[in-house]
Amino acid sequence: MNSPGVQRLNGAVHPGRWLMPVVWLLLLMLAVWAMPLVEPALRWFSPDARQVIYQRAAFSTLLWRHVLTVGVAAAVTVSVGIAAGIAVTRPWGRDFLPLVSQCAALGQTFPPVAVLALAVPALGFGALPIVVALVLYGLLPIVRNTLAGLQGVDAGVVSAAQGMGMTGRQRLYRVELPLAAPVILAGVRTSITINIATAALGATVGASNLGDPIIAGIVNGNTAYIVQGAVIIALLALSVDSLFDVWQRQLARR
Amino acid sequence: MIELHNVSKIFGDALAVDEISFSVPKGKFCALVGTSGCGKSTTLRMINRLTEHSSGDIILDGQAVGAYNPVQLRRRIGYVIQDTGLFPHWNVARNIGTVPRLLKWPASQIRGRVEELMQFLDLPSAEFAHKYPHQLSGGQAQRVGVARALAADPDILLMDEPFGALDPITREKLQSMLAKLQARLHKTVVLVTHDMDEALRLADHLVVMREGKIVQQGSPLALLQKPENGFVDSLLGGLERGLKQASLSRVRAHMTPLGPTLPAQSRIPDTYTLRQALSVMLRDHCERLTVVDKHDVPVGELSLRKLVKEAHAQPGERA
Repeated sequence: MNSPGVQRLNGAVHPGRWLMPVVWLLLLMLAVWAMPLVEPALRWFSPDARQVIYQRAAFSTLLWRHVLTVGVAAAVTVSVGIAAGIAVTRPWGRDFLPLVSQCAALGQTFPPVAVLALAVPALGFGALPIVVALVLYGLLPIVRNTLAGLQGVDAGVVSAAQGMGMTGRQRLYRVELPLAAPVILAGVRTSITINIATAALGATVGASNLGDPIIAGIVNGNTAYIVQGAVIIALLALSVDSLFDVWQRQLARR
Repeated sequence: MIELHNVSKIFGDALAVDEISFSVPKGKFCALVGTSGCGKSTTLRMINRLTEHSSGDIILDGQAVGAYNPVQLRRRIGYVIQDTGLFPHWNVARNIGTVPRLLKWPASQIRGRVEELMQFLDLPSAEFAHKYPHQLSGGQAQRVGVARALAADPDILLMDEPFGALDPITREKLQSMLAKLQARLHKTVVLVTHDMDEALRLADHLVVMREGKIVQQGSPLALLQKPENGFVDSLLGGLERGLKQASLSRVRAHMTPLGPTLPAQSRIPDTYTLRQALSVMLRDHCERLTVVDKHDVPVGELSLRKLVKEAHAQPGERA
C-alpha cells in the first residue's frame, strides 16, 4: 500500500514550517554565547554598574540547568496528568472525575511562590522545591486538555471501535488517544511554556538557573542582568513554543 | 442462526425491551422496524453484547451469547452504524482492514481482502484507498462502513439504521447494493430501520416493534396482507399497502401465455415488479401489457382485469 498518495499525505512537513523554530533557536544560541557583543547596548540599562554582562556562571550552564528543571517537571506533569485524565475517563475510574479535575484546578490557583515558601522548609533549598511547584502549577492544563480531548472523541467512533471487537486498551491506544492527541498536545504546550517562565523563581530558593541573573540584578540594582535573564528565558520559551506549533500542525493535518 | 427467547432489557427502572422472541435462520435477512425509541437498536446491541440483556436467552449458533468472550464475539459479527463510525484518523484501506488487523491476519492477506472488498463495493482502490473519511461523501463513507463490517467475512451482519442519514437517491442505491450483496453472500443479517419500504425491500422476515414489545412478525407479504392492528397498518402505509404488496412480486409470476388476440402495444421486461407494471398501464392508458424477456422477445401478457380477479379469487394463497 505504498503509493505516492501515502507519501504525499504523511510525508515531510513543508520546510517553511520550520522557519520560526529555527529563527528562535538561532537567536537563543546568539544570546547565550554572544552576549558580550551587545555590551554597549546593555551598558545603557545600567550606566553605573561595574560590569554589565552576568558572569557568575556561563549562560550555557544556566540554560542547561533551566531546561533540566523544566524538563523533569514536565516529565512528571505529562505522565501524571495524562495518566490521571485517562484513568478518570475509563469506566472504573469515572467516579474520581470531579475529584481529579478539582485537584488540578486547585494546584493552579495556588501561587508557585507560596508553594516554594511551603516546600523549602520541608524539602530544603535547591532544585526540588521548584520542581514540586512547577509540577503543581503545570498539571491543570494537561489534565484539563486530556479530559477535553478524550471526552471530545465522537461517541459513534468509540462505539464502532467497541463493536469491531477492540479491547479497552486497543480502543484507547488506537482510537481515543490518537484522536485526542492534538488537544492533549495543546495542553502540554501551555503547561511547558508557562513553566519555562515560572522556573526562574527557583533562583530564589537556591536552584541555580536562568532566574539567577534576574534575582542578582534585582538584589544589586543591575537592570542589565535582569534584561539578560529575561531575554534568554523569553527566547527559550518562544523556541519551545514554536517547536510545539510545528508538531501540532503536523498532527492536525491527519 | 440467531435466536432470541423472551429477551428483556431494563435500564434503571425503565423497561426498554419487553420479553421479545424471534429467530433469524442462517443466511436470512431480518429487519427490526419501528418508530424511534421502540427498543430496536437496543435489541441489536444485545446481540453483539454492546448492551447486556437483563433476562431471557440470546443464542448464536446454538450457544448463549453470554458464553462467548465479548471481544471475540464482536470480531466475528459485522457491525454497521448510522453515522458510519469510521475512524477519522485512518484512511479508507486501514478502516476496512480494522478487524482483520485485530485478528492478526498477515499483512498481504489483509491487503488482498481490502482490495477485494473495495472492488466489490464499487470503490476503486486507486482512487479511494488513501482517502480519509472526511474526504468521502455520505454514500461512499457508508460503503466503506459496510466493507469494514464484511472484512473478516463474518457470518452475521448487524446494521443499525445504516442508510438513515443519506439522501433518498443515495439510500436507494445503497439498498440495491445491499440486496445484491446479500444475494451473493447469504449472510445472516439483522437490520434496524424506521423505514418500512427499506425493510419490505430487503428483508425475508419483518419484526415490528413498539414500546419494547413485538407487535407483529412475519414475511413482508404476510404483514401486507394481514396487518395485526392499526399501528402496523399505518407503518405499512395504510392505503398504499396494495401498491407496496404489488412491488414485492414480479411480472413473471403473474403473466399469462400469449393469447390469440393482438399483442398489446406497450411492452415491459419480465423482471419488472407488478407495481412498475401498474404504473406503465396508468401512463400508457392500457389494460394489457406485452411482457418481453431480456432479448425483447414477447413471452406473455399481463392483463389488469385478470390481475384484479386473481387477487380477489386467491386472497389466502400467497399469505
